[in-house]
Amino acid sequence: MMTLVIGGAASGKSEFAEALVLEAGNYPRYYIATMQPFDDECRARIRRHREMRAKKQFETVECFVNLAEVTLPKKGVVLLECMSNLAANELYSPDGAGDDAVASIQRGIRRLKNQCEELIIVSNEVFSGGSCYEGDTLRYLRVLADVNRMLAKEADAVYEVVCGCPVCHKGKGRTE
Amino acid sequence: MVFVTGPLYSGKKTFVKEWLHWDEEAMRENAVWDVQDLAVDCDDLITLAETLSKKQVVIATEIGGGIVPADAKDRASREAAGRLACLLAKEADTVIRVFCGIPTVLKGEERL
Repeated sequence: MMTLVIGGAASGKSEFAEALVLEAGNYPRYYIATMQPFDDECRARIRRHREMRAKKQFETVECFVNLAEVTLPKKGVVLLECMSNLAANELYSPDGAGDDAVASIQRGIRRLKNQCEELIIVSNEVFSGGSCYEGDTLRYLRVLADVNRMLAKEADAVYEVVCGCPVCHKGKGRTE
Repeated sequence: MVFVTGPLYSGKKTFVKEWLHWDEEAMRENAVWDVQDLAVDCDDLITLAETLSKKQVVIATEIGGGIVPADAKDRASREAAGRLACLLAKEADTVIRVFCGIPTVLKGEERL
């Protein structure tokens, strides 16, 4: 079972995704962290998310590029957060996949699916702010949009989170 | 409390007025809007959410759906607006999102 959780900034998407992990039952829990700690703001964000996950018994696995290389010790529940970082890393990091970003992420997701009972992926809705951006931003938006659509196709359930309320777009999942 | 959210100019206030048959005065008395602006520089979002929740209707514009801003202050205010919206939605009995003038109930038993 694969679920895609998508939402804007501070929409409550992480909290919802973590609740899905807890609902999945008593499996080993893995958190695939994709954010590179570039500066204090990143570190503060990482700290906030680590606190949210404390007591929920997640084992954190860092993956900044090349998802297909991740090997999990046991079959469990995987929460990958956030796809928007992984896509940026693949595009811009020197050891990223560059133009092959979407295909690389797809390979990684398929491999990950086979390694776990339940896969929950968090991604970011960043497409409602128009298209007047400087430099390379549109290229990034295009890649992340392609990734999101690929994930939605692969997923059994797709939720958009709006101010903490899940809106189900695919699958017969819960609605509140 | 009813929390109404949605993109800029999506018809949130118009919806509330029509739905509850309120005129401008009733709106001013019973509703508060653009609360996302109050989240900027607010150091206690929980108290702010509690205070706002005393109104019958609270309206916020969704601003977290664009690319992450390059400016740190812009990022922080967007983040605060999102957190405030989550708190208000938690407090609310009903959450309605207005999209292109079309309301959808996200939380509660309300039938529109």
